[in-house]
Amino acid sequence: MDSSLLEKFRSFAARSRLRLFLLILGLLLAGYTLYLDLTVRAQFEGKRWALPARVYARPLELYPGAKLRPEQLATELAMLGYRDAGNSSDPGSYQRQGDEFSIATRPFTFWDGAQPALQLRADFSGDHLRALTDLKTDKPVTIARLDPLLIGGIYPAHNEDRVLVKLDEVPPLLIKGLIAVEDRKFYTHHGIDPRGVARALVTTVRGGGVQGGSTLTQQLVKNFFLTPERTLRRKFTEMIMALLLEMHYSKDEILEAYANEIYLGQDGNRAVHGFGLASHFYFDKPLPQLTLPQSALLVGLVKGPSYYDPRHHPDRALARRNLVLQEMLQQQYITQAQYVAARAAPLGVTDKAPKGTSLYPAFVELVHRQLRRDYHEEDLRSEGLLIFTTLDPLAQLSAERALTTRLTQLEKARRIPAHALEGAVVVTSTQNGEVQALVGGRDTRYEGFNRALDTERPIGSLIKPAIYLTALEHPDSYTLATLLDDSPLVWRQRGTSDWEPHNYDKTFHGQVPLRLALANSYNVSTARLGLALGVRNIMDNVHRLGVERDLPDYASSLLGADGMSPLEVTQMYQAFASGGFRIPLRAIREVLTADGQPLQRYSLSVEQVIEPAPAYLVTAALQGVVREGTADDLKNYLSPDLNIAGKTGTTNDLRDSWFAGYTGDRLGVVWIGRDDNQPINMTGAGGAMTVWGEMMARLDPDSLVPPQPENIELVDIDSATGLRADANCQGTVSLPFIRGSAPTETAPCAAHSPTRSIKSWFERLFE
Amino acid sequence: MMKRLVALFALILLSGCAGMVAPPEEARPVSDNSAVVALSETARTDAAGGRLDAAVASLERALRIEPRNPALWQNLAKLRLEQGQYQQAEGLAARSNGWAGDDKTLRAENWRIIGQARLKRGDYSGAQAAFDKAAALAK
Repeated sequence: MDSSLLEKFRSFAARSRLRLFLLILGLLLAGYTLYLDLTVRAQFEGKRWALPARVYARPLELYPGAKLRPEQLATELAMLGYRDAGNSSDPGSYQRQGDEFSIATRPFTFWDGAQPALQLRADFSGDHLRALTDLKTDKPVTIARLDPLLIGGIYPAHNEDRVLVKLDEVPPLLIKGLIAVEDRKFYTHHGIDPRGVARALVTTVRGGGVQGGSTLTQQLVKNFFLTPERTLRRKFTEMIMALLLEMHYSKDEILEAYANEIYLGQDGNRAVHGFGLASHFYFDKPLPQLTLPQSALLVGLVKGPSYYDPRHHPDRALARRNLVLQEMLQQQYITQAQYVAARAAPLGVTDKAPKGTSLYPAFVELVHRQLRRDYHEEDLRSEGLLIFTTLDPLAQLSAERALTTRLTQLEKARRIPAHALEGAVVVTSTQNGEVQALVGGRDTRYEGFNRALDTERPIGSLIKPAIYLTALEHPDSYTLATLLDDSPLVWRQRGTSDWEPHNYDKTFHGQVPLRLALANSYNVSTARLGLALGVRNIMDNVHRLGVERDLPDYASSLLGADGMSPLEVTQMYQAFASGGFRIPLRAIREVLTADGQPLQRYSLSVEQVIEPAPAYLVTAALQGVVREGTADDLKNYLSPDLNIAGKTGTTNDLRDSWFAGYTGDRLGVVWIGRDDNQPINMTGAGGAMTVWGEMMARLDPDSLVPPQPENIELVDIDSATGLRADANCQGTVSLPFIRGSAPTETAPCAAHSPTRSIKSWFERLFE
Repeated sequence: MMKRLVALFALILLSGCAGMVAPPEEARPVSDNSAVVALSETARTDAAGGRLDAAVASLERALRIEPRNPALWQNLAKLRLEQGQYQQAEGLAARSNGWAGDDKTLRAENWRIIGQARLKRGDYSGAQAAFDKAAALAK
């Protein structure tokens, strides 16, 4: 009895001790799990949802009659990563046969709605698109857009070295490859793969170290830790965390985090995390544009980014890539044909890692600045906004090439040390003020000092059209034919030293017609004109044209002693190029939320600031600069029939070379100089104008034919005297005048000239 | 005072007349480019449905294709007038005038838009001048 009681008691005590032990163990485990749960969720949430704003170029519009060459379409398609894939209907592929393209476009959501994937045929005829046809229905298409080029992102401050992507930006084949190679049961397991775990345990117990058997979820968890510690305890922790992640998040959320987190290489002392950045780092293009073999290479790198580094060990990388492709074939994720083609493809990795992830950092910076007026920096960097901009990649390419090649040539020709010259280019549309291209320096990928926006250099003679505009707004006193005084000038003003402007050719020209004083950029007559009109009045006009900075009213300001950025100069000339309208320069068209909902439009805005007639006269005078003035060498690049308007600018001691000019469709401003402000020994015509000419020649400019305002009349003028001429006069020019302002007096050469009739009366007398 | 009232009354009458004239699309097509015609049509449907922002976007898209088409500039001016953006309406109508050449009907309509815009902004003498120009062109 006793013994049995004791027995019972003992067994009870033992059981309750066991229970207690189990309870404590359970509590501890639960606490630990809770702790792990908090840790892993904090990690996961911290890495997620900070999506950068994505910045897109303008979409290329395709419509019958579009001014577009076949080569330009080919360039655009190549930039967009369209594959030349024969007769394929896969979105993102095309086929070219001479002047005929078959294109399978990618679906895309624009501001005004979604455009589904289309199959189009585009037929070209010379320099324009002749016909556009839907290949499925064989019916004509009035207008369609290609998807826009992704040109950069605005990244979270603490994540500057990431290119965060959404799952739908990851090429589907990349994900399939990942699953084929790294975790075939990803969509069915709960975070860990029991058989994988068992296999790993066996190797560990046999002393093979802790390794293998990781699911994608476990790999993601592993990436949350900073150290690659390999102990059983760490392995266990990772497993628990993987299970916990799967409880809280969907497979897609986990996959998206994985795609942004996985370690894929080393760029100096910067780790390359995520497929988005890796795509830029290895291929210099955005992730959605990767081809099958490129996607397969990135998948292959997951196993060992340094061992398989395609830049250092291309053979290993190639073998690894082909293994990935083989696995994909085995899983029937790709066809035999895709496999064979992909295997044959080269690695396609760029020689060097690109400097930044944006193709056009200078332009993206302009976009960022314009956005900052309306959005919080925090939202731009985290809300995943979609920014649709005005950048025209074809114009940008022309601007970059013209600047970089000409600067190298100029350095050689003028014995300037290599790489000493710098430059900047801005190109806009004359009619709506959209910025189509912006180059901030000759290293176009450099994300630092942006000369187009931030360099402030004296603009020299580029200021002169503002002076002539001010004059021509007073048709009673000034016309294109008015004679100006180009004799020596000394300007005395109390408190400043005497000012004695000189002409570039060191001579004085006496009486010169107003239009020729501008065409030849005479300083003395222009300064005298400006002083007569009042420097303040002229600077007020510069403000009216759209320049916002404070402008001093010294006499020397008349010859462009004050500094402006190339972008400000562009804003000023925009008013001339548009025929007298102030049109704020815009780099952004629309902003959409991350899920494609319209958020904001940046609309075209126009305000008439110059009457049509004086604006017309200024353009006529600026056409004279190119036809017969300082810019007449532009004919070496562009046909005189284009009637281009432009102005050269040169500053003291030849430190800055400027050119601003416009065609029928584009306005461009080019600056060349040195960052250390040393003389560069070139005029505006010798430097900047050549860049402008080379750039525009690549862009098939429209000729400039400004509409003639109703109160403008054309009058024949005798060049010598600036008086009315007729058929009897030699050297006659036909000039526009604001009605009623043309000279009434006829030149001596004309038939009905009073001087002539007096002369003939005398002649008759002595006959 | 009386004189001013009469003038104002006359102006309102005039602007009333101006409002009656010419819906955006006439028998004449806005362009011989089919893409521009299609975008104008979209803009008109959107405007009729009260989706003015969408209409503006379509017209701006059309203007990128044909920036020298005065009818497009004018239609955009009309939309801005309807949206109460009077300064923009005036600027856009002036832009249309620039490209209108000797199309007097189009120019008269532009001056009516300018007149309306000025009237709404309280610039009565400016509005009068604009309506006078419209009347002179319509003769």
